[in-house]
Amino acid sequence: MSELRLPVETEKLENGLRVVVSPDHSAPVVTVGVYYNIGFRLEPEGRSGFAHLFEHMMFQGSARAGKMMHIKLVNSAGGVLNGSTRYDVTNYFEAVPANALERVLWLEADRMRALEVTEENLRNQRDVVKEEVRVNVLNQPYGGFPWLDLPPVAYRRWANAHNFYGEFADLDAATVDDVRAFFRTYYAPNNAVLVIVGHADPAAALALARRHFGDIPAGPAPPPADVAEPPQTEERRGEVLERYGALPAMAIGYHAPARRTPDWYALALADQALHGGRAGRVHRRLVQERQMAVDTAGGIHYPLGDVFDYNGPTLLVTRILHKPEISSEATLAAYDEIIAELHEQGLAAAELEAVKVKFRSDYISALESGMGGYLPRFGLMHYLACFTLFDGDPALVNSLLDGFLAVTPEQVRAAAQKYLVPRNRAVVLRRPAPAGGGR
Amino acid sequence: MSGRTAGAPPAVPPALGAEPEVEWPRRTARTLANGLRVVLVESRTFPKVSLELLIRSGNAAVALEQPALAEMTATVVRTGTATRSSRQIEEELRRMGAELGTSAGADSSAIAASGLAEFAGRLLDLVLDLAQNAAFPPDELERERRQRLEELRIERATPGFLAGERLRRALFGGHPYAVVAPREADVAGCRREDLVRFYRAHYTPANAILLAVGDFDSARMMEEIEKRFAAWQGAAPPPPETEAPPPGHGRRVHLVHLPGSVQAELRAGNVTITRGHPDWMPLAVGNAVLGGAFHSRLVMNIREQKGYSYSPRSAVHALRQHGYFSVQAAVRSDVVAATLAEILYETDRLRALPVEEAELDDTRNYLSGVFSLGIATQDGLLGQLATVCLHDLPDDYLETYRARVREVTAAAVLAAARRWLDSPNLQLVLCGDRREIEEQAALFGDLEVFDAEGRRID
Repeated sequence: MSELRLPVETEKLENGLRVVVSPDHSAPVVTVGVYYNIGFRLEPEGRSGFAHLFEHMMFQGSARAGKMMHIKLVNSAGGVLNGSTRYDVTNYFEAVPANALERVLWLEADRMRALEVTEENLRNQRDVVKEEVRVNVLNQPYGGFPWLDLPPVAYRRWANAHNFYGEFADLDAATVDDVRAFFRTYYAPNNAVLVIVGHADPAAALALARRHFGDIPAGPAPPPADVAEPPQTEERRGEVLERYGALPAMAIGYHAPARRTPDWYALALADQALHGGRAGRVHRRLVQERQMAVDTAGGIHYPLGDVFDYNGPTLLVTRILHKPEISSEATLAAYDEIIAELHEQGLAAAELEAVKVKFRSDYISALESGMGGYLPRFGLMHYLACFTLFDGDPALVNSLLDGFLAVTPEQVRAAAQKYLVPRNRAVVLRRPAPAGGGR
Repeated sequence: MSGRTAGAPPAVPPALGAEPEVEWPRRTARTLANGLRVVLVESRTFPKVSLELLIRSGNAAVALEQPALAEMTATVVRTGTATRSSRQIEEELRRMGAELGTSAGADSSAIAASGLAEFAGRLLDLVLDLAQNAAFPPDELERERRQRLEELRIERATPGFLAGERLRRALFGGHPYAVVAPREADVAGCRREDLVRFYRAHYTPANAILLAVGDFDSARMMEEIEKRFAAWQGAAPPPPETEAPPPGHGRRVHLVHLPGSVQAELRAGNVTITRGHPDWMPLAVGNAVLGGAFHSRLVMNIREQKGYSYSPRSAVHALRQHGYFSVQAAVRSDVVAATLAEILYETDRLRALPVEEAELDDTRNYLSGVFSLGIATQDGLLGQLATVCLHDLPDDYLETYRARVREVTAAAVLAAARRWLDSPNLQLVLCGDRREIEEQAALFGDLEVFDAEGRRID
């Protein structure tokens, strides 16, 4: 049994906004997150990259705080902030000294209530996003690999398969009216959760939330969206070009179970056994023992998230960079041997126990840490928000671990046999440009 | 709570409440008889412990003779000891729910580990074994050597890496800080006996600091550490002797040519001061105004007004012997000259005019507040302790930092910017496709062009 007993208090305002407070008085800081139940999965077709561009626009001014005022008012209060767009949520968060809590709530409420969008700001942020895509993806060795390369091969629904950083033509097509429509549809209090962790009294924090968010009217429920993938019956393959690096690479993605199903708990432990650090079977076999690969990594929802923060089709991913003198066929065959061993023998009891210890430790570490120390309790805020939006129950943060710790070796093996099979996967090869091309 | 209409949110941002008292957690510190400096801080909200064994020698100690040596030693140190194979080490880590990382920077190397607090004793055992009995297995060395070679090749296709490397070369001349990465020949030429020699000379208690932050009782943790680490022996190596970096010799432009680049990575910088210098704080505040915060002049100008770049920023880096100032931005190739013009404009503006009080106040508040965020996580505390220990800062540095930020005046910022942001001798670096950017680059000074390996090609 895990012994986590983090305090969690929840309430729902009349307009549907859920408020979750987890007090922690060990330091006079608070971390605040507003999570909207919309990610890039549901951005309109023909508007790839829109949800992320919209996220940028949320910092460009609201009724009572002009362009960049949000950032100025948080920085000058002694705090840091950011936001991110993911498959199933978009989040906006700040970490500030505790005396700035009300200011942050005022700012978040102002942009939830009345975002203001201008042509000039949209043009500006479109330019900024294009530079972001260039610096993170287009101008880097292995940029966007595998998180932009796997979805188009693994999925059939546009919602799951498209380039969510944005094709430049789609970014160019986005209009101010699109931004306003998206805001009206998805950025309503009844489609959001406000999380406050740190040095805050729950009753006082709740009163502040009511004061600042209470008047925001509920919006119509966002349209229901069915993003379920049609069943896959045979392996899917794809190939993309690596412009800059000399090492061939590959990514394998298996369709993963839905959250909080029995298979989900079991496969998460198989995942830990495969990808957990240098003891993980993939690293040990391919990098250490057979020395075919130079770098391996992976996980459920890797690299954009983890097993806890998705709410739709996702993949259990392995990413491999291998030596050029080893063929991709030989590398994939070696990988398949690892999977076959998991099917045939599963995990020995002692190995499963060790994997569980690591899983528990990783979970605790995620709750405690903060993106390198500068955004305290980011992990706790993140899980509270996801467990609220996806599961309706932030208190799962204390109890969810139990399900993982109860998994048996037989269940791990059965999950591997069911999910880690070729007909349930996509394989993408990333081949270096011929010598003389690229850099 | 001031009086306002019940239920109506205020039309202006609420005033900040009174600034909270920030109390840094108590440090329990001791220097053991063998010279090992130990500093402990309790952090008990989660059952986790974070350790860092810092070795006060890094790449700079060997950069001019054997550039790959410190980093290869750090890499291979975790792959085996006299009694543990690599696989045993990794499986033991997993049984403790622990992560381990080893690394080498310019001035220090590190063995860092974190995991469940209940296994702290065993984690200390492992860290000590790595520090004292690393075996450098030949097969592991060969495997890691190949890894490093492949990593180097990828680095030499990465524009941000190349721009940063070229800046350090431009600033530091013959000083070890000029060497950011080894050549392939250096990695190929590292012999096992070189690693062993470096390890024996530098991985010694008299040359080390052990930091621990976590869910433990300090007194008991200190006992556990002393029990284990007291037997570790070894003197400190002689302190490095180095020459001064070259004096400024005019603004020069260095272009690293990467054909096919779709952006240019820009750097601008000059050598400055270290943390012990009286101008450090005003310089740090000035840097924050310029480009050290999201809401800063470089971001407002280059990103929010012009849309040239996603993440322009500036920094003052304090290495142990010298410091340097740098600005960076990744921009589309057609606005390289325009961006450089803005970087120079903003740097010169900070030197020309005092920062107005409102902007300065915002910046002091930013630095002060962000510093206090550091106490809320184990990583944050470890980072602060490491800075204090590695730079030999006073014991109360953490407690006095914010007051020292607050006492920085506009006049001091102006003086520090004039003295240390050396605009006339700023070195400009670009990494991109020369066909797209060379003409723009040449507008700013005498131009030298290099390939990705660092060879002149103009």
